[in-house]
Amino acid sequence: MTMIDNTGAGALPGRPRSERDRIRRRPHRASRNAFLSPALILIGVFTIVPIVLTFIISFSDWSMLTPLTQLRWVGLKNYGSVLTSPSVLGAFKNTVIYVAASVVITVPLAMAFALLLYTPVLRGRNIVRALLFATYVVPTTSIVIVWSNIYASGYGPLSTMLSAVGIHPPGWLSDPRWSLYSLVIFNVWQMLGYYVVLLIAGLTQVPEELYEAAKLDGAGFLRQTWSVTLPLVRRSLFFVGLMTLINSIQVFDPVYLLTQGGPAGSTETISYDIQRAAFQYGQAGQASAMAVTLFMLLIVVGVIISAFMRRRRA
Amino acid sequence: MSGAVQNSLAAQGPARRRRGSRPVGRAVLYLALIVVALIPLFPLYWLVISSLKTPSEFSHIPPTWAPMHPTLDAIGNAFSAVPFLHGMLNSLVIAGCSTIAVCITSVLAGYVFAKYEFRGREVLFWGLVATMFLPPIVTLVPLYVMIRSMGLDDSYLGVLLPWLANPFGIFLMRQFMADLPDELIEAARLDGASEFRIVWQLVMPLVSPAVITLALFQFVFCWNNFLWPLSVLKSQALYPVVLMLNQLMSYTMSVQYQNVVLAGALIASIPTLVLFLVSQRVFVQGIAGSGVKG
Repeated sequence: MTMIDNTGAGALPGRPRSERDRIRRRPHRASRNAFLSPALILIGVFTIVPIVLTFIISFSDWSMLTPLTQLRWVGLKNYGSVLTSPSVLGAFKNTVIYVAASVVITVPLAMAFALLLYTPVLRGRNIVRALLFATYVVPTTSIVIVWSNIYASGYGPLSTMLSAVGIHPPGWLSDPRWSLYSLVIFNVWQMLGYYVVLLIAGLTQVPEELYEAAKLDGAGFLRQTWSVTLPLVRRSLFFVGLMTLINSIQVFDPVYLLTQGGPAGSTETISYDIQRAAFQYGQAGQASAMAVTLFMLLIVVGVIISAFMRRRRA
Repeated sequence: MSGAVQNSLAAQGPARRRRGSRPVGRAVLYLALIVVALIPLFPLYWLVISSLKTPSEFSHIPPTWAPMHPTLDAIGNAFSAVPFLHGMLNSLVIAGCSTIAVCITSVLAGYVFAKYEFRGREVLFWGLVATMFLPPIVTLVPLYVMIRSMGLDDSYLGVLLPWLANPFGIFLMRQFMADLPDELIEAARLDGASEFRIVWQLVMPLVSPAVITLALFQFVFCWNNFLWPLSVLKSQALYPVVLMLNQLMSYTMSVQYQNVVLAGALIASIPTLVLFLVSQRVFVQGIAGSGVKG
């Protein structure tokens, strides 16, 4: 018996683990394929294939109103016309400003709110957290409607309140200098609660001892936050920044519903331009060239951010 | 610093004196808490009271801060100006089907990524997760072309097909399932349970908070999604509620009807708000878990 077992072990190295491995692996090829294929096929067909198609269409002259067989290869012509069009360049600029303003406002504000709502002695902080999060589940369409009324001059509450304290309210949506930032404000309003929840979760991961240590070293609240808390929630902050970027780069609903890119092109964003070029003018090639440019921009930003994060970690 | 850590660990003294333990500091913190609470509350309050005002009170300058003669007329008008109820049902069908499908595909794929070992697993998984960061606008045009060439534009199926599986769901399920002990699953296998039964009757109940979180997330996403139905649907009979709102907005641009639009905005928000409030505790924790683990 022993001898047979030994030769067996000699023939199959690692035998002691084999029983466990066999149980883990045995039935799996079939069920693995069966369980993975629905998700993989759906994501493959409706995400990966369209990415490839976007590239192909971007090199073609093709009206969406005609069948795919009318597709004609034109090389980089679409990129040439898109990247020299002042309106498209303006849309890229507006999108960058919109995204930058959203990130710059959202991340510090969410952090401050998270710190407040993480303070243990405060009663009712969970209710406030839920209230903040509630705006995330309200349809953007509804948010656009209520905020356009809050912004309204005359019967709108915001202008009334500002006038009451002696500030002359700007033309929130009608003044080209303000309109884009007015859209940023309700983007921040809608998304803030989600990020506060994420950051509070990050804060719960900071070991209590570190605060005590900092306190013994004589650090006050601000110093503790700056030197202990922020470095330790860096990953959460990074994630929040990234999500803000991804969410705000595709701003479409408020532009379509409220401003149609105006006044004076001040709220024309790249998502709005892509949808309009394709679905109103049928210019699928140019819309795709814009989409690819946006995609490339995102990849560049992603590479820069991850390189930066890696350097910080090292 | 490390010396200080050891000190504090050795001391095991009374709990650290928490921020805001002095009365004045605490009052300031409560004031801040109230201000923070007003940020989400005020626009929601404005949405509700504007829907209850009469048209003349609504356009009154300066505005009134509470409705003087509350009326449900605007809400009733929203239902009669466009087929709003029909839109709610369309949204329910679209968001409901998508949510069920996403939960099934994510649970199955998440289980494989969490508990099976096979070559290329990590590459495949992180490749999938990377597509999570792809904004849908990038693939809008080819997606529409594909749906149209399948003859599915302007149909429920066309609205649904791209949203039946998503990488976020797979990611969330794997993160939660990876924490389940392997021994549990191995024991079930030794008892002769099929893999499908293990997923359905053992694994899924154990990660139900994560499944609920995913379901709510997907439902809210689909209920609120505007760009895709706008691009793919033409018949009003299929419009989800957000497209009905869009119609309501364009029908009633004049100030006299603005309160009808606001009433519509209120009605469209109620289902997702109620769902969130009902499951708020699980939802918030599930989302928080996804962030920490990510």
